[in-house]
Amino acid sequence: MTQARGRCWKFGDNIPTDQIVRSDRALASMAEMRAHVLENLNPAFARDVQPGDILVAGRHFGQSSGRAIAPKALQATGIGAVVVEYAARLFYRNCFEIGLPLLQCPGVTAAVADGDVLAVDIEAGTVLVEKTGALIQGEPTDPFLLGMLRAGGLIPMAAQLAGEE
Amino acid sequence: MNLVEKILARASGRRAVTPGEIVVADVDCLLLHDLSGYLTARVFEKEVGRPVRYPDRVVLVFDHHFSPPSEERAVVLEENRAFARRHGIHLFDCGSGNIHHVGVQGGFVRPGAVIVGSDSHTPVHGTLGCFAAGLGNNSHAGMVMPFGKAWFRVPETTRIELAGQHQKAVTPRDAALWLTGQIGEGGAVYRALHFAGPYIDDLDIWDRWLFPLITIDVGAKCGFIDPDHKTLEFMAQLTSRPFDVVRSDSATEASETLTFDVSDLEPQVAASPTLGNVHPVGEFAGRAIQWAELGGHGGGRIEDIRQAAAVLRGRRIADGVKFNVVPSSRQVFAQACAEGLVGDLFAAGCTWFPPSTGSNQAINMGAMAATEAMVSTHARNFPGRNGSPDAMMYLASASTVAASAVRGTLTDPREFLV
Repeated sequence: MTQARGRCWKFGDNIPTDQIVRSDRALASMAEMRAHVLENLNPAFARDVQPGDILVAGRHFGQSSGRAIAPKALQATGIGAVVVEYAARLFYRNCFEIGLPLLQCPGVTAAVADGDVLAVDIEAGTVLVEKTGALIQGEPTDPFLLGMLRAGGLIPMAAQLAGEE
Repeated sequence: MNLVEKILARASGRRAVTPGEIVVADVDCLLLHDLSGYLTARVFEKEVGRPVRYPDRVVLVFDHHFSPPSEERAVVLEENRAFARRHGIHLFDCGSGNIHHVGVQGGFVRPGAVIVGSDSHTPVHGTLGCFAAGLGNNSHAGMVMPFGKAWFRVPETTRIELAGQHQKAVTPRDAALWLTGQIGEGGAVYRALHFAGPYIDDLDIWDRWLFPLITIDVGAKCGFIDPDHKTLEFMAQLTSRPFDVVRSDSATEASETLTFDVSDLEPQVAASPTLGNVHPVGEFAGRAIQWAELGGHGGGRIEDIRQAAAVLRGRRIADGVKFNVVPSSRQVFAQACAEGLVGDLFAAGCTWFPPSTGSNQAINMGAMAATEAMVSTHARNFPGRNGSPDAMMYLASASTVAASAVRGTLTDPREFLV
């Protein structure tokens, strides 16, 4: 739950959730949202993304509306992790709460190219570019959030905590 | 500690908190709207399966739909109503107004409280001296509804010190739009913004409100203003329920301070694709608009309607322009009636819509074709929110919206308000 390996799909800066899932699809089925995810920015992504692939994006990724359907539609593609220069805070929260690994890694967009095979370790905070062997050090993730990822998200974690009370 | 730290410490049962810590805090009010309320309810009932712990603290406002445009949407609203009845939460149905105004007018937002919501502009409630943050559906479904709690990382704080008086025809919304550009999109990620200084002190509550409104778009977690006598007088008109007045300690409350002066500011416009694309109106002068609107989560206040009326009285909007006026709440519409503004704007060619969030996301009005453009008091201008991703949205003060509607092109309101 805290490690992933796959091909890199690279996106730009300041991408709002409205561009991940168009707001007029907010109440559509997850299958439909997944089929159109990020289509305005890269139509090939929804079509060709493989389970385990890594989405890499720039600054303030996932800004605007805090609907969790945006990361859920990304999760529905089977991607293994999201690696960003930094994320909008609601997007950041939502990723951990739904159990989608996310790493904030300043410098990552300059260090990787589309199609590179990457190995991401959230706990170590690292991104390995396999063809060059370059290791990029990202930010540490709070133990509370690592626990949330391991539990599979906030809902199972809260249920576990309530059961222990 | 500052206001946010004091509130989070008390709500999490601690004597003190420090930035970077994660705390689990009691929530006083959860504000949901018809779209993400629906998504949250689905997650809650499918994945959580517990009762709502404190139904009296949950408020559901239908604001993206003042009336359902299709059978599919009618079903969504009926499911929302059934959810509200089943769990005994507060429901404000179509025509009540936009979520944030309804939350304030209903007395649900009180100083010292922890307020959370599904709408990303929830931080606007920090205006009244509370801690207010937007959370995702799973936070609400997984923690707030079943346990009355939420997790928060205690934010670092930036103090935004504002001074100066603006020139005629420049408004607090121009100052707030300009400040968005100054801080920059993502310029304050995860931080708390403390708005302070003589400029803020001089503003009335609904004008102060425009500043915490921008916090999400510079990436911040929350914004707040320490409560003062104006806050207490404002609250006294809305609720008799008790609340705690919490204020920041002066010496240690922020890790950085940014100071700004609004004295030389010109009317501002933020053009698509993002809020950071903000410039003096002159740089956009002459660009055609077909739509004008006072509405959305940012607009439709009585102050906006008064500003538009000052431009529009004795004038008519240009041929080909449609100017839609959407009061933020029923109280705003009643006030506009009492001041004769409804007739004034109607005579100028405007169309009145029900209290709601107007064409925000174009759920029940305001979709545009690729070749169209709108100037509005909305809070957002991202591509695809109002129909075609190629349509343009220009955010501006109500004075600039009205001046532009008269000319049919983006226009400096100082041409009318000298």
